[in-house]
Amino acid sequence: MNVQVVYCTHQTTPLALRERLAFASVEQLTRAYETLRTTFPQSEHVVLSTCNRVEIYAAQNESSAPLTQDQVAEFLSRFHGVPQNDLGGALLWQKGPEAVRHLFEVASSLDSMVLGEPQIVSQVKEAYRVAQENDACGPLTHALFQGAIRVSARVRSETALAVGRVSVASVAVGEFGKSIFDRFADKTVLVIGAGEMAEETLRYLKDEGAEAIVVVNRSLERAQRLAAEWGGTARPFDDLDKWLAAADVIVSTTGASQPIVDVARFRAARAASEGKPVFILDLATPRDFAPAVADIDENVFLYDIEALQATCENNRKQRVREIDRARRIVEEETDQFLHDIYHKATGPIISQLRAGWRKVCQDELDQLFAKLNRLDANERRGIERTVERIVNKLLHPPLEALRDEARKGTPQGLMDALKRLFFTGE
Amino acid sequence: MANVHVFCFFASYVVALALEGLAVARRSRLLRSLSFAFALAGLAAQTFYLVARSNAADLPPLLSSSHDWLLVLAWLAVVFDLTLSAILSGVGRSVPMGLFLLPVVLLLIGASDLAGAATSPALAGATDIARRGAEERALRGWGMLHASLLVFGIGGVIVGFLFSIMYVVQHRRLKRAQGAPNALSLPSLATLARLNWWSVIVSFPLLTLGMLTGIRLVYLSRHTSGPIGFADPLVVGSGLVWLVMVAFLIWVLRSDHVGGKQVALRTIWAFGLVLVTLLGLQVLFNGHTSAPAHHNAESTETPRSANLERATRQ
Repeated sequence: MNVQVVYCTHQTTPLALRERLAFASVEQLTRAYETLRTTFPQSEHVVLSTCNRVEIYAAQNESSAPLTQDQVAEFLSRFHGVPQNDLGGALLWQKGPEAVRHLFEVASSLDSMVLGEPQIVSQVKEAYRVAQENDACGPLTHALFQGAIRVSARVRSETALAVGRVSVASVAVGEFGKSIFDRFADKTVLVIGAGEMAEETLRYLKDEGAEAIVVVNRSLERAQRLAAEWGGTARPFDDLDKWLAAADVIVSTTGASQPIVDVARFRAARAASEGKPVFILDLATPRDFAPAVADIDENVFLYDIEALQATCENNRKQRVREIDRARRIVEEETDQFLHDIYHKATGPIISQLRAGWRKVCQDELDQLFAKLNRLDANERRGIERTVERIVNKLLHPPLEALRDEARKGTPQGLMDALKRLFFTGE
Repeated sequence: MANVHVFCFFASYVVALALEGLAVARRSRLLRSLSFAFALAGLAAQTFYLVARSNAADLPPLLSSSHDWLLVLAWLAVVFDLTLSAILSGVGRSVPMGLFLLPVVLLLIGASDLAGAATSPALAGATDIARRGAEERALRGWGMLHASLLVFGIGGVIVGFLFSIMYVVQHRRLKRAQGAPNALSLPSLATLARLNWWSVIVSFPLLTLGMLTGIRLVYLSRHTSGPIGFADPLVVGSGLVWLVMVAFLIWVLRSDHVGGKQVALRTIWAFGLVLVTLLGLQVLFNGHTSAPAHHNAESTETPRSANLERATRQ
């Protein structure tokens, strides 16, 4: 089996170079597949291009020469107009079992920047889909990518590699917010300040169905800009106390050097809120809410950036503990994949051998039975079985040797030898 | 089927609980599935046991004895656990209900082993007066209604009690800003508060109707060989428990602005008291009878012949 991958990832290559090598649009990918088809007509190809990696998988049948690192580097250099000198040692190359293992690890998110993140398998699926649309796939890449998607599913279901959230905003909404409220569609979200973290958190809240968004900021103009972007309304900073009382979810990200909400201020707001649960995300540094606000009553749930980051870190550590289990699955699946591929390669030879020998036996038996026509059915069956056992015993050593060799790779030499020794023809 | 012993399903539930605990600790779906399977096996064994007991006593399990009544309650709790787990699993949620419910189930089975296995003399008397068909049917009918209402009412109390414990656990986690381990993903506070409120609202009328039908039973039992008086400890105890429930319901309905945690804590206290009192009364006074405990399905102490013998003596 000839499978190769030439790749650069976030672990080996700076972002600036990855950006230059990336296939950013479907049109660009279509052009890339056309060029690859023209340049390497004997190869199947799949291009996987994400913000963290650019990988080109190639596969050929046994009779074709595998792609070399230099050939793919030259293609990338020409296609993107990046001088080969700029590529330096950025491109890595793997072939055979290592290439298969690499793809399985990538699809299982073992090679991702955020370990266990779920997007990569979607990106692998999308890359495979686009390759199919461009008629760039063949039997090997079909098997390879379908295998990768299966391995990813297995790792996700059999390990806790993807368990727990690892970004501050996702932890805030997913692990805390959703444990307080069962839905966000009927909740009022107050955003204080217009920082980047507020936007990321709003994205998660919107995904959970939040609709009523109120943005309060010292600069009304910035508040209006953020509100317009997320379908909310902007309110002047003077209205803060009113909205502190009305809000169910508060996301605070101001750049204030002192807490803007102290215990007295929030206690007053709580008096007007009838004690309903309030979920506060203080994502500012330094904090916008005095820590003692959390103790005002049992329905105030206050989380600062430190607490959220600690949870992220715990989840990350839990994921790391799953790496070995995930790698074992990848290893197992890689072996199985290679075994299946090699078995397919040796299958026709084995069938031909068996069929050829059976035919010889049957011809000889027919001649024998024609001469010994006094034999009854039982005697004939006995002779047939004896001959069959002899054939099986004679075939056993070469077939076993073929199977053994097939575990290490396609046993091309042995297959050729068997063809010549036993006259199986083509 | 007749050889099924209490130990069979008790052991199954113990294993199911241990596996559920391990599943939470190791975040293992396989262990959770095994736990489900063991609970299911326990349920099957318990069903066989109850059917065998019922056949031997010639009475529905709810009526045959305190022992069987408690086992029916445990059986319902397991059915609730398995059904809810299956439904939640179907929608991709993995709430370890068994971790909360199975200890109560084990407690009920343990209590049932201490409770009386003999039929209430009142109902035994109903068999005696078989000639008076209408009265017997009335006594059995009211007895069945009384036991059913109580068993479902107490089932509601158990569920409310457990939802309140879940609320407190979840609230504690959220207040301490601890991440949610996936295997111990409990429902949101809002959901738990709603479920808790409904369990109070549903269980109270059931217990009240159970009380009222109990009074009717006391009246009907006057003509049997074992009349029940209003001074019966179980009657007095149940009355007190009902008063606790009334006080608690009034508090719940009048406390609009009380935090969910307060409601959950008071539910734990009130429902805990109800459960402890009712189970304690069943164990101490063996329901409305004082017969000794029994041990397996084929050796019920309330066969029809015993009832007939009692009738002959009368």
